Amino acid sequence: MNYFFQYLVYGLQLGSVYALLALGYTMVYGIVGMINFAHGDFLMIGAVGTYFIAKAFEGMRIDGTYPMLIVGLIILIAMTMTGFVATGVEAIAYRPLRNKPRMIALITAVGVSMFLENFPRALPFIGPNPRSFPTLFSTNVLKIFGATVTVTQIIMIVLAVITMSILYYVVNHTKVGSQMRAVSMDKDAASLMGININRVISITFFIGGALAGISGICYASAYPQVDVYMGSWLGNMSFVSAVLGGIGDIRGAMLGGFILGIAQIFATALNSTFGYAVGFIILIIILLVRPAGLMGKLVIEKV
Amino acid sequence: MALLEVRDLHVSYGAIQAVQGVSFEVNEGEVVALIGSNGAGKSTILRTISGLEKAKSGSIRFNDQELTKMKAHNIVKAGIAHVPEGRRIFPRLTVTENLHMGANLQTDKAKIASDMERVFELFPRLKEREKQQAGTLSGGEQQMLAFGRALMTDGKLLMMDEPSMGLAPIIVDEIFEIINRINAEGRSILLIEQNAFLALKTAKRAYVLETGKITMSGPASDLLADERVKAAYLGA
Ligand SMILES: Nc1ncnc2c1ncn2[C@@H]1O[C@H](COP(=O)(O)OP(=O)(O)OP(=O)(O)O)[C@@H](O)[C@H]1O
Ligand SMILES: [Mg+2]
Repeated sequence: MNYFFQYLVYGLQLGSVYALLALGYTMVYGIVGMINFAHGDFLMIGAVGTYFIAKAFEGMRIDGTYPMLIVGLIILIAMTMTGFVATGVEAIAYRPLRNKPRMIALITAVGVSMFLENFPRALPFIGPNPRSFPTLFSTNVLKIFGATVTVTQIIMIVLAVITMSILYYVVNHTKVGSQMRAVSMDKDAASLMGININRVISITFFIGGALAGISGICYASAYPQVDVYMGSWLGNMSFVSAVLGGIGDIRGAMLGGFILGIAQIFATALNSTFGYAVGFIILIIILLVRPAGLMGKLVIEKV
Repeated sequence: MALLEVRDLHVSYGAIQAVQGVSFEVNEGEVVALIGSNGAGKSTILRTISGLEKAKSGSIRFNDQELTKMKAHNIVKAGIAHVPEGRRIFPRLTVTENLHMGANLQTDKAKIASDMERVFELFPRLKEREKQQAGTLSGGEQQMLAFGRALMTDGKLLMMDEPSMGLAPIIVDEIFEIINRINAEGRSILLIEQNAFLALKTAKRAYVLETGKITMSGPASDLLADERVKAAYLGA
């Protein structure tokens, strides 16, 4: 029982990282119909960026820990930064290809991913070596149902759920959300309603990037080592999550992320190599049994 | 001064020259029809006016603004409402949500509500299906929705691309009656039709488009009586 709960907590934590990242894949797919293979790298930029942002705020620490207000500020700066990186990538690399065959955008996305990983690697102050991520949250430990749960884990999971609730609200109940749904269904028709589709697409990328940024902070707080390549594996797993949930569907991405995170942790507990394979086993099964994914729709939708 | 004035418009899709030097105008309060067979370039002209396609050359002036360099969403703001070919309603939004999309640029809630009432009054069937997903509407209802949605944008000029396409005669009559009604209220209309008879009966003036060029124009009643038009488009 206590082991079960222990693994469940780890699973939820990893799942919230996957879910937050999967949302970006799914929203971008829903709105422009492309798989942004560089999306995982936004997580890396969030995590590596936070390392430097936290360093800049080092002087604000009290007894070696960051005050909550400063942590909030660091997270906000990091999310804004990854949001703008994502928006910039769309404007520079993807927008000019919007009406070209899909394959071209796909290949470009792979190129962007290589660039985002290798450009920072080449910068002298970043480089290829892993760095240890700063402790942003309390390291206190609680005993719940016989399991050891850190306060950081609880904060991460809660933060992820709050972020996703906000996103859900934005998509379903705000003007920009309804514009996003319209653009995802029919760009020409959306234009004829006076919707600036470039703006809506920029906002979508910004939100996806910001979510990737916070997912990077979540991940690095749990596994406190960051380097320029960390985004590719996590990106793959999150992409699998999005496909599992039904790519294009927002609830599906959240669900897929948590399922995959939990499955991976339990599988790892059984056998450490199996844990890494589980994502792809799930992906293959889904593609065979339910190609459209659990939620099975291909658009950003209201429910 | 014409409300809409198109001068020497050229539009190409790669090597295909879809529109080759077309000029026409729509005056305030008029219904103008553009008739022509499949592939003549009718939809391309409307799409270019709306900014969905780029003009290769020529000018499109509307209300003293040049549209050829403007972005599609600003053209809507300038006052052009477009009911596109194939309706293009948002299939997974409800009827009401679709109409709200039409009011995307409006900020006055009271006006949106009264415009919505107006649309429901013109199309009582839409009112009955308020909460229904638009994709599950019948073809005729979808055409009404596309029409209503365009009215919600509140444009001075309404462009309609083949509103009769694929619809039963009784629905077509209903739609054309509403075209006449909103025109009588002062809205200018640019109407594209393959059903030339219907278009010429509704319009004041008309242009005949053949493979990207205007070959005839004049008062709709004259064209209706013209032997060449009769032979080519009226099946007489
Ligand atoms: N997206 C496109 N790419 C390439 N060619 C196109 C495209 N759209 C239209 N065309 C071509 O441009 C020409 C004009 O097409 P358009 O749709 O404007 O004709 P239309 O008069 O509206 O015809 P219909 O009555 O069948 O709707 C046609 O030869 C068509 O094949
Ligand atoms: Mg057409």
